Amino acid sequence: MNQNVTRRAAVAALAGGAGFLAHKAHGQVVWQVNASKCINSRLGETTVEACNLCTSSCVVGLSAVRAVNEHSKCGRCNICPAYFNITSAVDEKGMPSEKLCPRDAITRKPIGKQDPEDPSNNFYEYTIDEEKCDGCGRCVMKCKEPLGLGSITLRVRYDKCVLCNRCAISTACPKDALEQIPLPAALEPGLARRTE
Amino acid sequence: MGVRFHLAAVALLLLLPGEVLAQAIQYTRPVETAPQERTIGGGYKTPAAQKPLPRQYWLQVLDVVLLAGAMAVSAWIVLKKRNRRWLMGLAIFSLVYFGFYREGCVCPIGSIQNVAVALTDPKYSIPLVVIATFFLPLFAALFFGRAFCGGVCALGAMQEVVVLKPVQVPRRLDRVLGLVKYAYLALAIVLAIRPAIARDFVICRFDPFVGFFRKTGEPHMLLIGGVFLVAGMFIGRPYCRWFCPYGALLNWCSRIARRGVSITPHRELDCGLCNEACPYGAIEKMRAIRKDCLYCARCYASCPNEGERAKAKQELVTIGGSAR
Amino acid sequence: MKYQQSLVIGGKGSEPHQFAQSLTGLALDRRGLLHAAGDAEIKVYDPSGRLMSKWRTERPALSIAVASTGHVYCGEEEQIEIFDPAAKTARVWKDPKMLGRVTAIGFAGNYVLAGDAAGRAIRRLDSAGRTVNTIGTDNNVGGLLIPNGTVSFGVDGEGVIHAANPGKHRVERYSGEGELLGHFGRFHFQDPAGFTGCCNPTSVAIGDGIYVTEKAPPRLKVYGKDGQFGGVIAAECFDPNSKNIPVLAGARGRVYAADPVKLHILVFEPEAV
Repeated sequence: MNQNVTRRAAVAALAGGAGFLAHKAHGQVVWQVNASKCINSRLGETTVEACNLCTSSCVVGLSAVRAVNEHSKCGRCNICPAYFNITSAVDEKGMPSEKLCPRDAITRKPIGKQDPEDPSNNFYEYTIDEEKCDGCGRCVMKCKEPLGLGSITLRVRYDKCVLCNRCAISTACPKDALEQIPLPAALEPGLARRTE
Repeated sequence: MGVRFHLAAVALLLLLPGEVLAQAIQYTRPVETAPQERTIGGGYKTPAAQKPLPRQYWLQVLDVVLLAGAMAVSAWIVLKKRNRRWLMGLAIFSLVYFGFYREGCVCPIGSIQNVAVALTDPKYSIPLVVIATFFLPLFAALFFGRAFCGGVCALGAMQEVVVLKPVQVPRRLDRVLGLVKYAYLALAIVLAIRPAIARDFVICRFDPFVGFFRKTGEPHMLLIGGVFLVAGMFIGRPYCRWFCPYGALLNWCSRIARRGVSITPHRELDCGLCNEACPYGAIEKMRAIRKDCLYCARCYASCPNEGERAKAKQELVTIGGSAR
Repeated sequence: MKYQQSLVIGGKGSEPHQFAQSLTGLALDRRGLLHAAGDAEIKVYDPSGRLMSKWRTERPALSIAVASTGHVYCGEEEQIEIFDPAAKTARVWKDPKMLGRVTAIGFAGNYVLAGDAAGRAIRRLDSAGRTVNTIGTDNNVGGLLIPNGTVSFGVDGEGVIHAANPGKHRVERYSGEGELLGHFGRFHFQDPAGFTGCCNPTSVAIGDGIYVTEKAPPRLKVYGKDGQFGGVIAAECFDPNSKNIPVLAGARGRVYAADPVKLHILVFEPEAV
């Protein structure tokens, strides 16, 4: 009898608690990289090494953070400092001989009307293959202004991220660039600076 | 004091702009620097950057439905069907689905932290799915005891499958160790309700088996998991009995459970086989202690008056002639 | 030839001789006074760097040039504003289609040349501001490749236009009619004569030689008339984040370069041999 009363009280208390929390429930909140804080994309420092803590800290096998090229902001340059290693030796065609990405994740393809004779007379589209990219940030650092136009940023990919309570990358990031924001805002492209 | 203070203030002000400037570079930049589609020509369309979405909402709801369903099945198997084999089947399903497929996340054990934060931080957003994950096993416990622990919890199932030769832990030691989970619960809550930057989700960080579920993990996590697995071969479900903070909550709810595992008095033989069969020290004086019973149904499997053996005995008696 | 930095003019701040937000163009008039375009103003400095006068422009000033008559041409968005020698607005040439963003102005004969960054080309304008022809669009990409967003060129004594084509890592020579006469420069990282990065050189000026400025890392270099490398004039003094450094050639080998981040104008003199 006593037990019944206690049980009913417990059920009521739990139901009340659940209701109270449900009342407070918001939409989904996810982890995302803030491009204005991430060392690889934020403006200011020009001679630092690319930071790859996103690659090594994520609990998922291949990090859920990948580099993404926002095509509408990309310059489509012939010699892209994120695709090529511009410090490498120049081959006989006048192009750098080495590529930058250690996993060969960036593909380069000429677009629009093409001039077969002169490769520099074309626009090129650069796409990052997300299955190969591990978020090491080298291309992001090279695309950063002023060297590039800042169209490549590190973004969390939600088909890979397991949405930990406390993102392991957020603990490791030296600039606290990982923040929890509502999903629609997290899907917007990364902005390395505030526009005037 | 005056001059030195002012000098120090000036020096500080001179040092500040370095960091501020690094983040506030402003140079006018043309609006359309990147070539647009009409500039590139040739019918080129700018591809949109991919925006992979997280797992669809209905799949998350499905997980909650499966959780509820699995607990209902667990309660039915243990209280009605009273069959250990079916329970093991359920445990394997849970291990595969909630463990290896869903990679052990979101689990009710970890949800304690989310609920604690949601109660204390007005800015914290807790999804409905997590609320359901936290409360459903508790409701089940109020009516059926620790049905969750039986065949549903992936961590429990992981330990269930490695039980080889469990030793009976001395009762006093069992009692003392059982207090650790209350301390862990308190610690987990205290560390979770800190301000956002300092928040530490220790239950997640020291989850013994999530490293195996994800097939990757930090060395310390895999080590803890390995230790629990090896220990689990000789001690019945050590994490569940002594460390699981959610077990502390289930413990409280099970005390006032409406129904639970019952070793039926009218079939008592006083043989004590159930007592020896239970690896979790949940049988005292031939009765199941509801708050400790982990719903493994071993007591039924060993009882001569239960299940197959009882039926066989019944037939024997009927065939043999009049019962005494 | 080695150069030394002789003067620093302007700076970032709110004083009359300083710049608040931007410094985008440099020009010299016949008297040797330096005109600087920035914010929405034009400032005039004397050879010692003292501010002589300044006046407002209708829109933010993107480029500046001074004609032999003393008129000051200021390139802005969708228009060119022309001031008479008394700094009063004489004419405004509005042309949203042909003068989208005028980031460079030059003179060749009776024509005014305007570098339109929106169209990625150089427009040749008559004395009424109407576009006579367009230079630089006769190629596969339909213009100059300028991911940095500015068209920059200089005109030499013969009316040949030397335009920077940063996407192709070269300086191109065009006739007034738009015919490509030649080019010099190539992509190279180690060779200081080469242009590195994605798009360099960003700016060009013609004087005793061809002066170019680059970004990432920022440099000021000089080449001979036919493109042979003359040397690096300055590199370390620019803010590492600067790009589109306006450059101007003065008399007797003097070079002016404006740092768009620190918002000051550096004056370089060749060291006396």
